Amino acid sequence: MSEKHLSSQFDSDLNAVSSQLMEMGGLIETQIQHAIQALAQFSIPLADDVIHVEDRVDALEVDIDRALTTVIARRQPTARDLRLLLAVSKITTNLERVGDEAQKIARRVKSIIANGESHKMPIGDLRVASDLAIDLIHRALDAFARLDIPAAVDILKEDNLIDREFKGFTRKLITYMMEDPRTISDSLDLLFVAKAIERIGDHAKNIAEFIIYIVKGTDVRHSSLTHIETITQ
Amino acid sequence: MSFLFSRLFILLACMGSGMALAVSFGQAGHTVAGVAAGALAWLVWDGWRAARFAAWLYRLQDDPTAAPPRFFGTRKEVAERIQRLLRQQARAMAESENRLRDLQSALQASPNGVVILNERECIEWCNRMACEHFGLDARRDLAQRVTNLLRDPALVACLAARDFDEAIALTSPASTSAHPLRLAVRIFPYGEGRLFLLSQDITVLEQAEAMRRDFVANVSHEIRTPLTVLAGFVETLQTLPLGENERRDYLARMARQTARMKNLVGDLLALSRLEGSPQPGLEEHVSVRALLERCEADARALSAHLHGESAHSFVFTGMDEADEIAGVAGELQSAFFNLVNNAIRYTPPGGRIRVGWKAGETGDGRFFVQDSGPGIAPEHIPRLTERFYRIDPDRSRESGGTGLGLSIVKHILQRHDAALQIDSLPGQGACFTAIFPEFRISREKRVSGQT
Repeated sequence: MSEKHLSSQFDSDLNAVSSQLMEMGGLIETQIQHAIQALAQFSIPLADDVIHVEDRVDALEVDIDRALTTVIARRQPTARDLRLLLAVSKITTNLERVGDEAQKIARRVKSIIANGESHKMPIGDLRVASDLAIDLIHRALDAFARLDIPAAVDILKEDNLIDREFKGFTRKLITYMMEDPRTISDSLDLLFVAKAIERIGDHAKNIAEFIIYIVKGTDVRHSSLTHIETITQ
Repeated sequence: MSFLFSRLFILLACMGSGMALAVSFGQAGHTVAGVAAGALAWLVWDGWRAARFAAWLYRLQDDPTAAPPRFFGTRKEVAERIQRLLRQQARAMAESENRLRDLQSALQASPNGVVILNERECIEWCNRMACEHFGLDARRDLAQRVTNLLRDPALVACLAARDFDEAIALTSPASTSAHPLRLAVRIFPYGEGRLFLLSQDITVLEQAEAMRRDFVANVSHEIRTPLTVLAGFVETLQTLPLGENERRDYLARMARQTARMKNLVGDLLALSRLEGSPQPGLEEHVSVRALLERCEADARALSAHLHGESAHSFVFTGMDEADEIAGVAGELQSAFFNLVNNAIRYTPPGGRIRVGWKAGETGDGRFFVQDSGPGIAPEHIPRLTERFYRIDPDRSRESGGTGLGLSIVKHILQRHDAALQIDSLPGQGACFTAIFPEFRISREKRVSGQT
């Protein structure tokens, strides 16, 4: 994952932190998948599953932060190592938020099922956006493991696809609510689900930005795509 | 020993020739000097040869095939032995390299994904299938920790606990909702802490399992529904005093339910018979006209039976064609009438139904049934031929369908190498077309009639 250090213990510390982050990433990925599956199949057990995993994610977040503090205090890293550790800390926060979004989706799914009118809602239309979100998070984590800059830039380019899907879906929900006011409560639930999916895409984008930060040393948050592309060339 | 003697002999020969030279020049007093000069000349010459030998040995390090300079005597023998040894070594090396390459290409050819992990769980080698299954890059991801890329929690937990007894089922990272990919992953420890990871595509297996489960559930449900109704009527007849009219009415309803169950079981048996019997050959031919004529008679009778005065209006075309289809008459009749039957049941009374046979553009033959019914929404069309698939469950059961008709049609057509094409838009009717390939159709009579 990073170049060799004089102290091999330092290397293994860094690797251990990254591995823990990837483990957390794996948990989050399945959490999103299950949340989306719960929505597609109206499955309450799956939704409950998503909500329960949250505890393990939180525990991992605390563990990673503690490990980071220890490494920084003991090794006083500089340059790329410092950037890696800082980025891991930020990515952990982002992943934890993704987990929260998955949990939100699961809660909304349960509420939609409880309303009992679920089969009338355009749930299939969320398929494209949710597939995109799952794919983006997956690719962001892969790009982190490989420190793959081109892959990270691709993720930044694709985030607006989800945004476009979200806008289209919102328009559709409005037509549903106008046609039949009884669908309003379900529509609102679905709107929150769509928003959560859109937020997951944003978090994937943040992770991609931190990957560029680790490798290139430039903070590319809030900068334009063309600027990022010139940096990473 | 010969080695010692030959060198001694050359030395003596040199010394002797030095002495002889000194004597021949008539300076007998310098005999000793001549001998010494001979010995010296030998020393220089031998040293030069030794240096060349050493230079050749050095050259061998870079190029094992370097030819030795011309030696003779002992050195020639040594050089030859060295060369032979080197050749043997090179052959052994090439052999083991070949064997390694064979082994790798065998693993490459495996339909399963193979990943070899070292003792730190880093990827050491993986085959093409593993790359496809896990989205790995065979070159870039070497030396990457496997759990950094295969992040499935079940797999991570299994590696952490070093518990490799059971296979793990997981969704591939390359899986999408359009192309799901489920994998069974097994890990085998070997050597000193090294791991061998094997992945197998179980998507089809799981789908088949799910289909079987659905099928059994559907059959049970379809049979239970009329049974419940029957049981209810039986109980009523047993416990309540009923008038003659009521009793007759109940018995009639019971008869309808038993008829429904009989239909269902009949269809199930037909399906299993179709699945079990070999494909019909090309010897037996069925006249399309005969098939259409029977369809017409049955269709008019059924429509009149169902709707009486407001029966459908039928248009049968292509009755004058002399085409024949190679296949089993009974099966084709059943498939064709099933399609007509659907049209009758789903088209409101008084609607128009067109049935016919026509030649396709590419030499194929097409049996079509077009109705003016409510049409089918596009999302249902690909799933229509699934067993028990129903767009509106209440309606189709009410109209007496078993939910197996189109499955049977599809099966029969497949056995006759034909395809079922469904064109429909909601509100614009539906057209079901069975397309038979050219080799299943014989047009001999028409061709001879034209010439």
